[in-house]
Amino acid sequence: MVPFQYNARSLWVRKVTTLATAFGIALVVFVFAGALMLGDVSRVLAAAGRADTVIILRKGSDAELTSAIANDYLGLFRGPPQVSQAGGVIGEIVVVVIAEHADGSGSSNVLVRGTPPEGIAFRPEIKIISGRAPKPGTNEVIVGKAISGRFKGLSAGQSIDLRRNRPLQVVGEFTAGGASYESEVWGDLDYVRNALGREAVVSSARVRLNSSADFDAYRQIIETDKRYSMKVMRESDYYEKQSQQTAAFLKTLGLVVAILFSLAAMIGAAITMNGAVAHRSREIGTLRALGFSRRAILASFLIEAIVLAVVGGIIGSALVLVLSVLVSFPVINFQTFSEIVISFHATPAVFVKSLVFSGVMGLIGGLVPAIRAARVSPIEAMRA
Amino acid sequence: MNLATYARRNLFRRRGRTILTIMAVTLAVVIFCAIRTFIVAWNSGADEAAADRIATRHKVSITMQLPKHYIEELREIPGIKAATWANWFGAKDPKERLPFFAGLAVDHNSWFDVEDEMSVPPDQLAAWKETANGAILGDQLAKALEVQVGSRLVITSDIYPGDWEFKVVGIYTPRRKTVDRNTLVFRWDYLNNDSRAVYSKEHLGWMVSRITDSAQSADISRRIDAKFDSRDDQTLTMSERAFALSFLGGFAAVLTAFNWVSLVILLIMTLILANTLAMSVRERTHEYGVLRAIGFPPGHILGFILGESLLIALVGGVIGVGLVALVINHALGPAMEANMSGVFQHFFTPGWVLVVALGAAAVLGLVAGAVPAILASRLKITDALRRLG
Amino acid sequence: MSEPETIVTLSGIHKTFYRGKEPIHVLENLALDVPDGSFEALMGPSGSGKSTLLNIIAGLDRPTSGTVRVAGADLTTMSDGQLAKWRSETIGFVFQSFNLIPVLTAAQNVELPLLLTPLSGAERKKHVETALRVVGLEDRMHHYPRQLSGGQEQRVAIARAIVNDPKIIVADEPTGDLDRKSAEDVLTLMDRLNKELHKTIFMVTHDPLAAERASVQRKLDKGALQ
Repeated sequence: MVPFQYNARSLWVRKVTTLATAFGIALVVFVFAGALMLGDVSRVLAAAGRADTVIILRKGSDAELTSAIANDYLGLFRGPPQVSQAGGVIGEIVVVVIAEHADGSGSSNVLVRGTPPEGIAFRPEIKIISGRAPKPGTNEVIVGKAISGRFKGLSAGQSIDLRRNRPLQVVGEFTAGGASYESEVWGDLDYVRNALGREAVVSSARVRLNSSADFDAYRQIIETDKRYSMKVMRESDYYEKQSQQTAAFLKTLGLVVAILFSLAAMIGAAITMNGAVAHRSREIGTLRALGFSRRAILASFLIEAIVLAVVGGIIGSALVLVLSVLVSFPVINFQTFSEIVISFHATPAVFVKSLVFSGVMGLIGGLVPAIRAARVSPIEAMRA
Repeated sequence: MNLATYARRNLFRRRGRTILTIMAVTLAVVIFCAIRTFIVAWNSGADEAAADRIATRHKVSITMQLPKHYIEELREIPGIKAATWANWFGAKDPKERLPFFAGLAVDHNSWFDVEDEMSVPPDQLAAWKETANGAILGDQLAKALEVQVGSRLVITSDIYPGDWEFKVVGIYTPRRKTVDRNTLVFRWDYLNNDSRAVYSKEHLGWMVSRITDSAQSADISRRIDAKFDSRDDQTLTMSERAFALSFLGGFAAVLTAFNWVSLVILLIMTLILANTLAMSVRERTHEYGVLRAIGFPPGHILGFILGESLLIALVGGVIGVGLVALVINHALGPAMEANMSGVFQHFFTPGWVLVVALGAAAVLGLVAGAVPAILASRLKITDALRRLG
Repeated sequence: MSEPETIVTLSGIHKTFYRGKEPIHVLENLALDVPDGSFEALMGPSGSGKSTLLNIIAGLDRPTSGTVRVAGADLTTMSDGQLAKWRSETIGFVFQSFNLIPVLTAAQNVELPLLLTPLSGAERKKHVETALRVVGLEDRMHHYPRQLSGGQEQRVAIARAIVNDPKIIVADEPTGDLDRKSAEDVLTLMDRLNKELHKTIFMVTHDPLAAERASVQRKLDKGALQ
């Protein structure tokens, strides 16, 4: 095997070319990692869903926003034996309101959720991180971390009008383990629905079952009840479906971009390695004359290409780290018309995938040049 | 022969390298144009909006409705030529041929007067007035749902329970390329009279008005909102363009990111081009020394190298632009417009994008060659001659 | 009979290079007069400064101090741009490794120096043909350097060197890369250029047989001429 110092020194000696190529690949990896993280919408939404919790919507509706259920039915949902007595049933109302961006760049839809007093406790992952929980029966609300401060009126101490003369007073900020709840505003169920003229109606019901295995039995009971027409879904399935279109759209976008950019990386690596082989043909001939096999030369140049590309991958990953800290990203959920904020969540998986990606780019781009190098005959060593 | 011959011939010295570099430039130009086309297509709905139409909706939420009598008051406001309204129906196809489509309950007497880029034969409009459950569909939607005039159509709704049966009385065709062709409109009074519409009875979703003078659009909008400001249900009026953008607004960040990505690919292209030039120049340092010895001034050397860079960039750019024009405008675009017209009614690379792309390639070609060129021309002749490469 | 004019006058020439901080005095207080029409050979051991001296005469390099007059021009007062122009008109270069441009034909290589002049395309063509005829390679005009032998390449290089009708031909080891026979052909050609076309030739060489052809032989040792 050709000692790696040879490759390392060769890369170092042509610093400018090495750095230019590595930086080009770094940019490609940067875009690739960004695309990877963009397709992560499902993760954001799915975090809100539990397998042992069920969401009930009016049959025919696909989202909480368009569903309407009479309040009276909540008692009936609580009846069947699969329902956990500790967890219980809650009904909530959901509406989107227009809120102006705090920086004046326009406005977007924000989801407001009216929840009963036990609504916050229903989700153990909710943490009030500043201020306090709203008092039930009042117009107090808390805002999710992802949207706090981004809209006029939606920061601690401020208020927005739900409707004329019906303000919502912000008293605190909450997190929800990264789930889409963090892009919502939560207030009192009665206050919100009365303000909207929708007394005695909820958008959806959530039911905690004794165990996730009870799902099928519970669903059977509710969906076949002749008194009403409801649709029962696991919460986790609901959220997955919610994000389907948006996720598919973003994933496709990300994939197309990543493929096209990876071509650029391969071409860049190929040009550099080709040049290296041409420039060093006398050296290679010498190595061959000294006794190194064709295979050793092939491997050597492949490794050099991969190392070059991975150096680019490391630089790109560093850039991605910066991106993930600085940038977060509102995106509209097609199905609910409301905003979800996606932040670039740089998990170790993203880095690993990025480095592997860069290595593969180096491998493919460097393959033909490495084959060329292996073909150099020892006679080249003698050439003037 | 002239000085350009030398620059041109040098490209053939390392044919593989030249070809790969040209490919890189082509790829970059294609990606750049594709991204810009995507952004243009995305915004095209908004860009093509009529200047003399404004939309009025509930101030608080797009999902909240306005009392129906507002339309009568709106029509009295000076500056309003004609006004109509619509309610969002949340239409779905029970046979799931489409994931969803736009279904609206509208005022059959005024809708097509205001939304006049959709063209309906007068006899079909007359039939609509006679048929309570009549529906008019866009031509592409009709094809997707496999109906013609006279067909029976059953759809469901995200908002209202049960099945809804309509009789197709008409099909509208677009007067302009970018008009949506996938909407179903039916009579608002049919929805209003149905017991299932209890929550939206005597309410409308939003109003669309034709104004007499486009220049007064902002003033008239303010006038409308002022009129309803003291009511429980306040309004928000804006130009049709702003209205369309407010739906797209949620994706502004994605588009910004895309913008940046299109610049990144140009940066990568410049790096690759600069790298290639630097490698070639390094190999020819001795030769440049010889040329300087013979009497070629440094400016000529600069010119040779920049010329090479520019040539590669232009060849790659022209091929890229040609590919884009061919693939997008003649193949991919029409395919997307036909099949994905819900999202992209108009997928076409405008001429200016092609020009900008080619121009960018040329300019970046010069930029990429600049550093190697300047360094080469500054080298001392005796140092250059001493080099082996 | 009047004395032939001196075409090259060097006096008080010092040339110092620096390796890091250490100064290396390559040429020290050197003086040289070359008469017009002379065929000079400069020999000396490696590192003696032969090429440095050649570079100074040819206007490729400047001395650290001293005066350089070549063909009536005071090189030390000329700017780089002026030197470039002067070289294209006055000097013809012949290098050891021929230095032809591989992507141009023989004729195009010879034409290169003419691109710096205001001559028209047709006029350039005539000059090229003449130069190639002098070196005996007219029939190889459209061949690329890789299609020529080493000796032929060097002769094309000589054609390039004379196409501008320079006053002085400067040759750095012109036979260094050639076999005996080709070297002979090249030297005979240079002889003819000197005797028939009255070109002054200043040649640096290791080759004693090449040196023999010259009318004047000098030795450079430790920065001083013998």
